[in-house]
Amino acid sequence: MIQLKHISKHYPVGFGKNAVLDDIDLTIHAGEFVSIMGPSGSGKSTLLHILGLLEEPSGGEYLFEGEPVHKMSEKKRTQLHRGSIGFVFQAYHLIDELTVYENIETPLLYKNVPSSERKSRVADVLDRFNIVAKKDLFPNQLSGGQQQLVGIARAIVAEPRVIFADEPTGNLHSDQARVIMQLFKHLNETDKITIVQVTHSEQNAAFGHRVIEIRDGKIR
Amino acid sequence: MFRNYLKIAWRNIVKHRFYSAINIFGLTVGMTCCFLIFMFVRFELSYDTFHRKADQIYRVSTDVKTPTELIRAAITSAPMGPAMKADFPEVLNMVRVNAASWLIQQGDNKYQEDKVLLADSSFFDVFSFRLLKGNAASALRAPFSIVLTERAAHKYFGDADPMGKSLLIEGEYSATVTGIMKDVPANSQLDFDMLASMSTLTKALQPGIDEQWGNFGMGTYVVLPPGADPMQLERKLPAFMESHIGDMMKRGSMYYTLRLEKLTDVYLHSTREAPVKGNLSNIYIFAVVAAFILFIAIFNFVNLATAKATERAKEVGVRKSIGAFTSQLTLQFLCETILLSLLAFVLSLVCCQLLLPAFNALVGKEIRTYVFDRAGDLYYFFGTAVAVGLLAGAYPALILAAYKPALVLKGAFGRSDKGLSLRKCLVAIQFVTAIILIAGVTIVYRQLAYMHQQPLGFKKEQMLVMDFTGVRNLQTSWPDMKQRIARLPGVERASFSSSVPGEGQSSAYTLIENKAGDMQPSNINLYSVDYDFIQQYQVKVIAGRAFSPAFASDSTAALLVNEAVVSSLGYAQPQDIIGKRYSQWGREGRIVGVVRNFNYRSLRAEVEPLTLRLEPRDFDVLSLNVSTAGIPATLSALEQAFTQLAPERRFSYYFLDEAFDRQYRTDYRFGRLILLAAILAIIIASLGLLGLISYIVTQRTKEIGIRKVLGASVINLLLLLSRDFLKLVMIAMLIATPVAWYVMHRWLQDFAYRIHIEWWMFLLAGLGAVVVAMVTVGLQSVKAALVNPVKSLRTE
Ligand SMILES: Nc1ncnc2c1ncn2[C@@H]1O[C@H](COP(=O)(O)OP(=O)(O)O)[C@@H](O)[C@H]1O
Ligand SMILES: [Mg+2]
Repeated sequence: MIQLKHISKHYPVGFGKNAVLDDIDLTIHAGEFVSIMGPSGSGKSTLLHILGLLEEPSGGEYLFEGEPVHKMSEKKRTQLHRGSIGFVFQAYHLIDELTVYENIETPLLYKNVPSSERKSRVADVLDRFNIVAKKDLFPNQLSGGQQQLVGIARAIVAEPRVIFADEPTGNLHSDQARVIMQLFKHLNETDKITIVQVTHSEQNAAFGHRVIEIRDGKIR
Repeated sequence: MFRNYLKIAWRNIVKHRFYSAINIFGLTVGMTCCFLIFMFVRFELSYDTFHRKADQIYRVSTDVKTPTELIRAAITSAPMGPAMKADFPEVLNMVRVNAASWLIQQGDNKYQEDKVLLADSSFFDVFSFRLLKGNAASALRAPFSIVLTERAAHKYFGDADPMGKSLLIEGEYSATVTGIMKDVPANSQLDFDMLASMSTLTKALQPGIDEQWGNFGMGTYVVLPPGADPMQLERKLPAFMESHIGDMMKRGSMYYTLRLEKLTDVYLHSTREAPVKGNLSNIYIFAVVAAFILFIAIFNFVNLATAKATERAKEVGVRKSIGAFTSQLTLQFLCETILLSLLAFVLSLVCCQLLLPAFNALVGKEIRTYVFDRAGDLYYFFGTAVAVGLLAGAYPALILAAYKPALVLKGAFGRSDKGLSLRKCLVAIQFVTAIILIAGVTIVYRQLAYMHQQPLGFKKEQMLVMDFTGVRNLQTSWPDMKQRIARLPGVERASFSSSVPGEGQSSAYTLIENKAGDMQPSNINLYSVDYDFIQQYQVKVIAGRAFSPAFASDSTAALLVNEAVVSSLGYAQPQDIIGKRYSQWGREGRIVGVVRNFNYRSLRAEVEPLTLRLEPRDFDVLSLNVSTAGIPATLSALEQAFTQLAPERRFSYYFLDEAFDRQYRTDYRFGRLILLAAILAIIIASLGLLGLISYIVTQRTKEIGIRKVLGASVINLLLLLSRDFLKLVMIAMLIATPVAWYVMHRWLQDFAYRIHIEWWMFLLAGLGAVVVAMVTVGLQSVKAALVNPVKSLRTE
């Protein structure tokens, strides 16, 4: 599903550059649950963003479902964001001005899903995550764990094939974290969604099939 | 999707109430100004367009060439129009009009009607005034036929039907009401309360006038075929005049050239004098000022929106990561600004309607009663609102939509300086505008005060002017009348004259012996006065003497001239003209004295040559010096005396100083409008500044806290926060000064007597702006600087 060949990434700093990723080779198959680990600043988020088509690598080749990403048009990438890729963020990143229901509904709006189907799909997800009672609340009225549930609900409502989660439990305490991890496991096993998460915790990593260690921009 | 946008937009507006309020308020004020001025400009441009044949009607006017000058008159003599219709087949129709002021009586109702218009019977065929009752073709045919407007009909007859009833004119003639018409629209160059048949004049009151080619006084309008080129007719007119009165013109060495002016151009574009006249440059100024105010409001919007863009960055990042196109985001943010501007649009329509009566009063005419009187304008207004939303939203929307999601989401996104220079630029432009307006207001008001205080060369205080127009036997019994009135308590002195300063005057073809000994002809203004006029008005005699009963010949042969006449004839000294011969309007004699130039007309114009003669036949007004004490008693005594002297007339009077200042009515009006505009511009601009600075302060709360901990004083912090803005105001002052100087210099050129523009006026304007900026910025900064740093640091 995902194939990185000699991927590198550097940022301009002053007149020089700051290499963040260096010659990364990585393959992730459909249906895998992968955890990326590494110290702070080692380039995990950058890697995840490259995988998620939010950033472009400085060098190397990236095939998403066999298609070279660097040849994709902006439109094609947006289309992938709409249908194939879901994101979950450490800081949840819900839209503050929208209710729980509306936050979950937004990806479907961008996907032009008809109204009736939209309603039933959002209702399904709300039901499944046990947050029906919260659907009319705004993000700032929810606890961190609940917000992250909404974040995940928003990520899966468009039925993506892969979810990229950047420290999804970083702001949560361990009980909440476990709930989220079990949810990922469940999504991975029953819905066959590929999951790539960044995490600092061995426990969380243990929910996945495979751990990728990053240090100084390289996979160890 | 769209609903989602609207929802977010609405919630954002509500969430950021303070900024939304500033924006909506600014836009509402801006649009209200804009719409009101739009209605005003549209009204001014709409003059005379309501006539069905508006495109075919031309006003005939006359260029009179005398040996010394060219007089561009807006009028013709009586025979010209009919002769044109007879000679040229392309003149489909013609109507002559003549303004009159008549005393009109119906039973016990008696009014001096200043707006009577005599008109040929073709009037209703040429113009499209609506006749409600009566026959359009014949209503104005017979002498002493009167067509009343609804207003006048109601004034004299109440609810009764006036048709066929009679009215007494000037206490002598009985006239019949032959028609009722709708009131004259406010946007008509012909302004009248009633029409009288032209035959009243040509057949009854002034028979023979139809043959007097040199007797000017009538307005003439001709109708040409649709699409006809007026120039083709105009080119034939010199030959036409030659064939009719070629000899007469040669004999009098006065040459008349007829000109055609399109009816719809007359109000705004004609340079000839007229009672109803627009001012094109004021229209331009208003339009520009309206645009200024709207743009200041838009700039506020752009400023606040770009400043706050960082707050929306997260939302942009999230939306992009779940599949939003950049174009969709742009659209979303535009939706928000358009929603805001539509809110302001609705509010401003309400404001416009509420302010309309006040605005009508301000511009001095009823431009319309309801905002929706012209439904079509609503499209323009709506279009403006949408355009404002787009203009205001475009830049912030583009900035926002261009955010890179990865940057934002990683939190590597600090304070953005994106759009900072644009923001500074916009604030500077706002201040440039404000400073130009303040300087403009200062200069306009200085000029008005100057005109008010400038010594005019005659006494205008405590001078009461009584109207004696049409009083019977005035020509013979004026000395007696004058005596009886001068005897009343409170009246100190009285004198009759044909006119008083500020009220216009007649002019006469005059020959005066010049330095070379030739009789030099010219058209010179003329005051007919009695023996006491010069002394009462305290006009200074600088050579020769004033009129005096001691010289028997004074009443038939003496003439006084002003200094302007002396120099126009080439004499070096006033004494030199004393004793020179003159001939004027059937009178010949010698010049006996020279008076110092006094401003008998508005200070917009230089003092023109003026002659004064004793001519009781022309007396129309009596000027009285009244003592300030007991004016009400004096007035009622005057009224009583007048009613006894002239029972058929109505007592009417005015105070000279007020009447003289009334010449500057439009200037005062202009001043008030500009003042209002300046105040609004400053309020909107400072609100914008307030929004911007309070946002900057919240952003820099932490920095301020740290600086305080490090020992910065409140003054240090105040300077830190306001330095940038002060710099901007300084730059704005540098830009605004030359612009304001140029514009106001041009404006002042319209006044022959004018103030000098001085540097302190711009300094004052600049200081005004600095003060406003300092107060706005300062209050916010001090508030921030006074916050306990522990508080702001802990929240981080
Ligand atoms: N947009 C950027 N510009 C410059 N440097 C960046 C940018 N994004 C990340 N970096 C740098 O790249 C390195 C890796 O960052 P990141 O991928 O966020 O690490 P991690 O998620 O593993 O903590 C850090 O040193 C960070 O400072
Ligand atoms: Mg990270």
